[in-house]
Amino acid sequence: MGEAAVVFRIGPLQVTSVVVTTWGIMLLLGVFSWAATRRLGLDPGPLQTVLEGVVAAIDGAIREVLPQRSRLVLPFIGTLWIYILVANLAGLVPGLASPTGHLSVTAGLALLVFFSVHWFGIRSEGLKGYLVHYLKPSPILLPFHIISELSRTVALAVRLFGNIMSLELAALLVLLVAGLLAPVPLLMLHIVEALVQAYIFGMLALIYVAGAMQSQIESREKGNAI
Amino acid sequence: MELDWSTFALEILNFLILVWILKRFLYRPVLGVIEQRQAHIREALADAKSVEEKALALQSQYENRLAEWEREREAARAGLAKEIAAERERLLNALAASLEQEREKRRVVAERSQQEWLRSAEERAIAQARRFLAKLLARLASPELEGRLVDLALDELRQLAGEQSRALAEAAAAPGVRIAVASAYPLDGGRRERLVRALAGLAGRELPAELGERKDLVSGLLVTVGPWMLHANLRDELEFFAGASNRAP
Repeated sequence: MGEAAVVFRIGPLQVTSVVVTTWGIMLLLGVFSWAATRRLGLDPGPLQTVLEGVVAAIDGAIREVLPQRSRLVLPFIGTLWIYILVANLAGLVPGLASPTGHLSVTAGLALLVFFSVHWFGIRSEGLKGYLVHYLKPSPILLPFHIISELSRTVALAVRLFGNIMSLELAALLVLLVAGLLAPVPLLMLHIVEALVQAYIFGMLALIYVAGAMQSQIESREKGNAI
Repeated sequence: MELDWSTFALEILNFLILVWILKRFLYRPVLGVIEQRQAHIREALADAKSVEEKALALQSQYENRLAEWEREREAARAGLAKEIAAERERLLNALAASLEQEREKRRVVAERSQQEWLRSAEERAIAQARRFLAKLLARLASPELEGRLVDLALDELRQLAGEQSRALAEAAAAPGVRIAVASAYPLDGGRRERLVRALAGLAGRELPAELGERKDLVSGLLVTVGPWMLHANLRDELEFFAGASNRAP
């Protein structure tokens, strides 16, 4: 896995093949969503049933972790799951590389999760109320809270990047050493790994967001109880 | 493993755009239709619940009505039983009265029949007694008995009360009237003379006398002065006896 090739430039920005692949994924998902949801009805067809099943499963998973505000975080967490899954599986298409096998992509996603945690936390209780929870149970723990926030963000980025990059690299090495059909089981493993890594990334993001929001709710409930 | 800042920034931007796209074209429509279906289901459930409540209300209403009908039926049955009992009592009373009336009628009929029988028996007894007496008196009849009867008649003429005496006088006052004396046996001269004289005394004048014999008188005599008659014979006495016995209560 070398550096991504620069396809073209927009001013100072270099548009690499990874970004182009992402655009392709965005186009695919956008067109598919638009086409699939044009004629939704109360009596669903097979495609609508699948779509409703996917969205309901995402909503259900979020609702189990964050029952009160599931609809607020559903677009963000759901898009993480869908995008990372499709991006992971894009490596199976000949000629394409998984965007999630690049640290720039996973770091960007991790940074989005980092900021979204604070965004949803502040939206939930306000800036002051949110920041106060870093001082609990003791202000001494503030540095550890900050370290924890940074380290888990880095861990998110590196975990996804490392797994997908290593998986693709392993498949490439097996292909070079053993021939054309030998990496097929490895590709099957790629599918499983793509699902698992997408789930892990999305679920961790959900837990971080829910943690930021729930801490405020728990603090409020305790205050009410007292 | 270098970080490409252009890719990093573009990926962040791409992801945010993708969030908007999926929110606009996937989550919102699908969640909307799910909510629409859930609302539809809730509405259907509410309708079903409403229908169920209505059905339960109707069931309760019908049960109440059935219970009311049952009570009314029981009341009607009780009323009917009461009416039947009253009618039965009335009919039994009427039957008892009818039976009593019939019994009374039968008792009256039986009593009347018994009285009739008694009267008939009495009449038969009287008739038998009369026949017996007639036979007995016929066997006892004799000129001596007749003489005693004539003497008895003479005593009665002497003791005749004012009314009888006036009746005889009025009968004797009619022109051409005569004294008819019929006897079972021929009267001797003395008694005949006393009889004629006694009658003349009562009539207030001398009347011609006509004497005759009649065996059917058994014994004694029958004196006729115009419409006035003196029955001093056994036949007429027997007839009088029999008639008096029949008239007796």
